[in-house]
Amino acid sequence: MLLAGLKKILVVVMLVISLSAIGQLWTSSLNISDRGTDALDRWEANMILVKEDLPINRGLVGYISEENVPGAEYEYWDSETEFLLTQYALAPLVLKKGPIAEWNVVVLSDKDLATWLAAFPCQYEITTIKGKVRIFRNLGNP
Amino acid sequence: MTLLSALIFLPTIFSGTLVVHLLWPEKNLLAFPLKFSLGIGLGLGISSILYFLVLQAMPGRVNMLTVQIILLILLLAITFLRGRNQKWEEIRLPALSYFQWILFGVFFLASIMAVLVFINTIISRPQGVLDAWSIWNRAARFIYRDPENWQATLSPDLALFRHADYPLLVPLNVAWGWETLGNETLRVPMLQSALFTFSVVMVMFSALAFTRTIGQASLASVVLIAFTGVVVEGTYLIADVPVMYFILTSGILMYLFTVRNESSLLILSGFMAGLAGWTKNEGLLFIAVSPIALIVASPKNLKRSFLPYLAGLAIPLLIIFYFKSLTPPNDLLNNNSTSLIERITDLSRYSIILKSFTSSFLNRSLIFLLFYTVIMHNDLSTVFRQGSYAIFALLVLQLLGYAAIYLITPNDLEWHLHTSQSRLFLQILPLALFLCFSISSDPESVFLNGFQKTSVDQF
Repeated sequence: MLLAGLKKILVVVMLVISLSAIGQLWTSSLNISDRGTDALDRWEANMILVKEDLPINRGLVGYISEENVPGAEYEYWDSETEFLLTQYALAPLVLKKGPIAEWNVVVLSDKDLATWLAAFPCQYEITTIKGKVRIFRNLGNP
Repeated sequence: MTLLSALIFLPTIFSGTLVVHLLWPEKNLLAFPLKFSLGIGLGLGISSILYFLVLQAMPGRVNMLTVQIILLILLLAITFLRGRNQKWEEIRLPALSYFQWILFGVFFLASIMAVLVFINTIISRPQGVLDAWSIWNRAARFIYRDPENWQATLSPDLALFRHADYPLLVPLNVAWGWETLGNETLRVPMLQSALFTFSVVMVMFSALAFTRTIGQASLASVVLIAFTGVVVEGTYLIADVPVMYFILTSGILMYLFTVRNESSLLILSGFMAGLAGWTKNEGLLFIAVSPIALIVASPKNLKRSFLPYLAGLAIPLLIIFYFKSLTPPNDLLNNNSTSLIERITDLSRYSIILKSFTSSFLNRSLIFLLFYTVIMHNDLSTVFRQGSYAIFALLVLQLLGYAAIYLITPNDLEWHLHTSQSRLFLQILPLALFLCFSISSDPESVFLNGFQKTSVDQF
């Protein structure tokens, strides 16, 4: 008899706490703050411009960021996320960190770009796309 | 665009449902929702395999929607030819008590709220989480934008943690969806994710309604929505919910085999296990451990259980083998054998893994569910007991497999546990929930004296 009563209570409790949890899910879904969607869209818009300017549709493209600049200060995850976003936008081009190809995407401020160019002497062409986003074409050794 | 995106998946879903029906021609009305919810994932699995084969033979030159409509017409013709001489008078609606209608109403309300939570959450982040766009939709873009050169998505030059070796079920469905619609609308990955998310709920409900009672099915489904996080996880647009679906369905079909002793259920179970491996690498672990559970499910006649299971598993497994022959090695294998032995013999790693697993198990919801199951535990007949043992074996072996992966991971162990353990547990949580509710007393028996079960008594 006691067990039968306990079972009834358990079923009711299970149902009530489940419904309460679903109610909480519902209320928390009503007020979701910005989760970076706009930033992602803006980055993608910039990279569409890069893609239009790149003369290749397949193969490897280099990626130069603060990670390649000696002494540059940067947040690792900000830099990594920008790299991943760039890869996502430029697919099916394969993006690899470093100036590893003839065509390279540069995401650097003017100051960091100057520092990097000084540390990486070569013949090159740079096309500014928007803000700190550029295309760097490596023309070989000076 | 949302409606169009939904329409392109209709032939896929109906084809999957017809395949389930052809293999398992059960006419009990309660079996139809189960067949439909199994058909959704099966159809998505078949469409991804078909598109993968198209990419090998004629990339960019075959309209996938046409292929799927042809397949649907073929399946309809076979179903019609096979079914025209069969009698359907066995079909009748189960008579529900007021109590059952109330519980079903609660489940219906919870489902509506789950749909609203899904919509609210997904529109706040339509691209999904970082892994969604950097792994799954990134792969879909490689395939959609340059199908003739689709293997670029497997390039070893891609960043290590972007997992070029991950299987392609999810990205392939997104890619052919984009190809059919002619643009990269995010509605396609969103809808695919919604299909898998709500199929998990539907499978839970329909499997328990078929094997137990409507009340038990309703209660388990409400608990699934409330506590497993499946709805919110579905909005992340990653592959954990699809792999959860395939693990759940393969386990349930194995359970149904022990109850019904119909080999065709094991063909489906094997196929679903194969699709788990075609969705995510954790599914490969599931494929590896499932034969042991199969021995538990049918210890007296291994030949009768293994042959149909392997027959179902064969096609997805062949696709996986071929696919893996093209991919770079997984980051977990990217280490030398000496350090691997060091990791295996390092006792502190066992301790860290055990502590981390234990802390996950010691959460209030799981403790209450365990208490509930112990108190509500029902005396099961032998056939139900055998199926429960098989699911229990699947869960324990999958957990041990996860622990083994953490043991050998070349990545920082604590970081790896922190970033992935909750998702791995989530993959098997619905199957654990099914086990709990399949061995517990149903609400009807608890509240209604002399209640006659509508479904379980048939077995």
